[in-house]
Amino acid sequence: MIEVRNLTKKYGDRTAINQLNFSVARGEILGFLGQNGAGKTTTMKILTGFMPATSGTAAIGGFDVLENPFEVKKKIGYLPETPPIYPELLVLEYLSFVAELRGIPKLDRSKKIDKAIELCHLGDVRRRLIGNLSKGYRQRVGLAQALIHDPEVLILDEPTVGLDPKQVNEARGLIKNLRGEKTIIYSTHILSEVAATCDRIIVIDRGNIVAQEALNPMGATGGLVKTEIVVRKIGDDLRKNISSISGVKEVQVVSNGTHRLIVESDAREEVIAEVSRIVVESRAGLIRMSPVQQALEEYYLTLITGKGGPVA
Amino acid sequence: MRGATAILKKELRSYFYSPVAYVILGVFLFIMGVIFAKFVDLYQRFNTVQRFGGAQGITLDKLATYLYQNMAFILCFVTPFLTMRLYAEEKRQHTLELLFTAPLRKFELVFGKFMAAYSLMLFMVLVSFIYVFFMILWGNPELAIIGTTYLGLILALACYVALGGLISAMTGSQAIAAVWTFIALLLLWLLQSLGQGISAKTGFIEWGPLLVFLSPLGHFNSFSEGLIHVKDIVYFISFTVMALYFTYCVVESNRWR
Repeated sequence: MIEVRNLTKKYGDRTAINQLNFSVARGEILGFLGQNGAGKTTTMKILTGFMPATSGTAAIGGFDVLENPFEVKKKIGYLPETPPIYPELLVLEYLSFVAELRGIPKLDRSKKIDKAIELCHLGDVRRRLIGNLSKGYRQRVGLAQALIHDPEVLILDEPTVGLDPKQVNEARGLIKNLRGEKTIIYSTHILSEVAATCDRIIVIDRGNIVAQEALNPMGATGGLVKTEIVVRKIGDDLRKNISSISGVKEVQVVSNGTHRLIVESDAREEVIAEVSRIVVESRAGLIRMSPVQQALEEYYLTLITGKGGPVA
Repeated sequence: MRGATAILKKELRSYFYSPVAYVILGVFLFIMGVIFAKFVDLYQRFNTVQRFGGAQGITLDKLATYLYQNMAFILCFVTPFLTMRLYAEEKRQHTLELLFTAPLRKFELVFGKFMAAYSLMLFMVLVSFIYVFFMILWGNPELAIIGTTYLGLILALACYVALGGLISAMTGSQAIAAVWTFIALLLLWLLQSLGQGISAKTGFIEWGPLLVFLSPLGHFNSFSEGLIHVKDIVYFISFTVMALYFTYCVVESNRWR
């Protein structure tokens, strides 16, 4: 669906992005991860046809963004970092302006507007002035704008920045609902967000792609997860038994006050289930068993700083 | 042209949802009202004087010419307030992203915005028809001259608006756009008197007449005297088209930076 080849953008002497190569399959949700100023927004602006690249190509749905900008623009919905809204208009007026701009035929317009309003939960504010809405609602109006023409590709630039936790959850839910239907590129610098919604991540640092990984449902990379197990006492055979499960890579015992085991294993659910069965049957007194959330963060820091972060 | 219509409608909405349109319309009509009252007063005085055989050659039409020349000048002050927000505001609100990533052609954007500000200006000019009505009611004006004056006014306003839009596209601040538009229009207006005092020549270019030709004042004046010259029409239309084309280029070049 999206093909990017050797994409480079220079602002004067400064290279914003350098020789990017990636592709996104139809229906995939790609997380675009990087620090501020890493080149996420630049890449997205090029993909949407907002600005041209210095060199390299980008194609969406088979159309080159520079040669066929019109076809590309019809296929994408774009939510920039700052939602592109007019504070002097009502929500409904704004959406109908966008619908007209997007070339939605007059007969379909009100239906499409209603659908976008419903998807983004804007029903309560449809007759309110955009300028009077809170940040969260403005962001949703921005999202409705990107969804209104039912695009095949959605490009969202930090869609959850500035939202309160409840709204962040709603936004994630919305994106998850679109899973499979739309191809989504989603930029963020918040790790847990990527883990919660994306199929795959691309980590970008100072304009270069430093990693492209598929994410498994456990939210870690490279097909491995770490599970932390806290028990009342650790017998000798417990560690051995866990190690012998196929799919378990490494078992680490940490005993500083509490009795903890860090199990590194394949991310398959069967493996995790087997580990828990062994622990329970060993009568070690299972207190807590949880995936180590820092796995992704640690991995990310390794990529960005070139050295490992704190061990979980 | 679907995109241009969408832009036009949205711009008109924005004008009338903010106090801008009302304030400008109100102030313009107030000033014109004062000038028209002065005009009526002058007309009455000349009438009285003429009854005793003085002030020959001053006719209603002559006075009407002054009225409309004043109006063309006052519209110079009005234009910046209408055109300043056209592009500068989009930049400030980050809404260019929306316009540039929608399937909208740049010339549709430029044309839609131009038409929005221009139609508002035309609306003001339309309201000033009330003066014509009064003149017909209590005098005997030459309607053909008033017709050509309005034609000149309409053409001149297209230039003003196109130039204002161009300057708005070049800056990110409404205030700066307004100031520069005002300075540019005033300078253009003054080129007339500036050019008349210059007799310098470089090769076969005579700078004086060139400056005079570049000023819209002289072109408008011949309309207000009842003359329709092709050179004046060409001047106004080519001025407008060029300003719109440059606006298109500036808008397009925003992407390449």
